[in-house]
Amino acid sequence: RSRDRRSKRASGFDMAPPGAPLMPTATSVPVPFSGVQQPMPGMFAGMPM
Amino acid sequence: CSRLHNRPTISPTLLLSNMYQRPDAGAIPGQDPNMSQMDPRKVQEHFEDFYEDIFEELSKYGELESLNVCDNLADHMVGNVYVQFREEEEAAAALNALTGRFYAGRPIIVEFSPVTDFREATCR
Repeated sequence: RSRDRRSKRASGFDMAPPGAPLMPTATSVPVPFSGVQQPMPGMFAGMPM
Repeated sequence: CSRLHNRPTISPTLLLSNMYQRPDAGAIPGQDPNMSQMDPRKVQEHFEDFYEDIFEELSKYGELESLNVCDNLADHMVGNVYVQFREEEEAAAALNALTGRFYAGRPIIVEFSPVTDFREATCR
């Protein structure tokens, strides 16, 4: 079977009908930036560490 | 099917209902509804494209033991895809990942299936 034809073809996955609401997928889950400091549980801003 | 089927809460096998639509079945807009006028090679090509899509996507979630596509034209089980993973956890990951998504403009309907031996699989 020709791989050339396969490489030119788009997958049918995530081909939503017109007007369909966008659904979050595993690849669209927001990931916090590594440089942003995350607050620790039970700690408040300005509290001495 | 009018029979009451057992729907397990966990299984290594997933059922993706009515996912495959034959291009010669007349159900796809723009496709030729007359089977006799459809080139059998085009039908085969369409099926292989579908199979590759499914195989590549499902392989992301685990090792596949079996992948069966019903390409019959009768109503019963039409277009059903049965995929058996090696592990139940892999099937669960695939189910979670596919829920709420679309394939070729249609929503993917996915659930666990009790079928584990396709040689013995009958509607009962």
